[in-house]
Amino acid sequence: MPAANVAAQVRTSLATLKASDLQDAQIMEVLKLAHQLTDTMKLFFSSLDQSICQEFNYIAEYISRTRDEIAALRPNDIKKERIPTAGAELEAVVTDTEKATEVIMSAAESVLCDEETDYDTYRANVEAKMMEIIESCSFQDLAGQRVSKVVGSLRHVEDRVARFAEVMGVRDADGGPQEETAEEKRNREQLLNGPAIGGPETSQDDIDAMFADAGGDAALDQGSIDSLFD
Amino acid sequence: MAVEMTMPILVVDDYKTMIRIIRNLLKQIGFENVDDAADGQEAFEKMQKNKYGLVISDWNMEPMTGYELLQKVRADEGLKSTPFIMVTAESKTENVVAAKKAGVNNYIVKPFNAGTLKSKMSAVLGEF
Repeated sequence: MPAANVAAQVRTSLATLKASDLQDAQIMEVLKLAHQLTDTMKLFFSSLDQSICQEFNYIAEYISRTRDEIAALRPNDIKKERIPTAGAELEAVVTDTEKATEVIMSAAESVLCDEETDYDTYRANVEAKMMEIIESCSFQDLAGQRVSKVVGSLRHVEDRVARFAEVMGVRDADGGPQEETAEEKRNREQLLNGPAIGGPETSQDDIDAMFADAGGDAALDQGSIDSLFD
Repeated sequence: MAVEMTMPILVVDDYKTMIRIIRNLLKQIGFENVDDAADGQEAFEKMQKNKYGLVISDWNMEPMTGYELLQKVRADEGLKSTPFIMVTAESKTENVVAAKKAGVNNYIVKPFNAGTLKSKMSAVLGEF
């Protein structure tokens, strides 16, 4: 039962008691005091109920808005369609690339190993293998299209997550660095950085210079290492 | 001392295509006695059974990386003098420095060609 109703019920009971023609002045005083207390309680609980009600309304509205924004993210579409499709496209790129590489390398090896002595036959063999190589290079067009689709899916997810974060006022959690996973630890310890974007980060010429500076295969001392970073 | 063109060379890479490319480049240079391994662990086991005149290794492999292989080889009394060339897409200066400190003889960054491979092999083994 809401607190305001309880106060009203107590108030009614007091009124009934008061109307029952009590003669004792002290009891009447107590009843009067109790009546005042009940009024105060009613006022207090009414304001309390109203404040809680407003709070609950705000929370309900927030939950509803969050649900709408999550729905706008279309998480099921991302989970069931876009991400699996992107994964399948990338796997297809790997497979297509492997197949094309196999054909190209086999053709090149065949030419390198061709011991045909008749010029016309040798030329025909070489031309046939060159055509195989040229045909196989069409994988680049397909791979490009597949990768473009994956990039599109990533942009779609990025846009929706960014909008969600903006609308909901989401901020990145702070409070120190995140715990390192076992894979991250291994990558850090083994210096597994992967290929750099846009070509090698350190060119072959610079690497050669580092080895030349160190003097053949001699161990690189700390001074030499430090000089690499000057 | 003249380089023995029939010396066995161990190529370590987890991509069969890359092993095939390096095999072809080595053949073009004149080395045909080539063995291969798919990661550092397999390479180390092969090195304990066979003697190789040169190891050409990738860096990024599972379960044992080329960097770990290099460290294990240099810590092994019987293998520590084996010439070791790293051929990798890891091109950060910290990688080159770490490999050098671990005792690598030369370092080739991918992609590369037969000329680069030959010049680094010559720098390590001597002219051939």
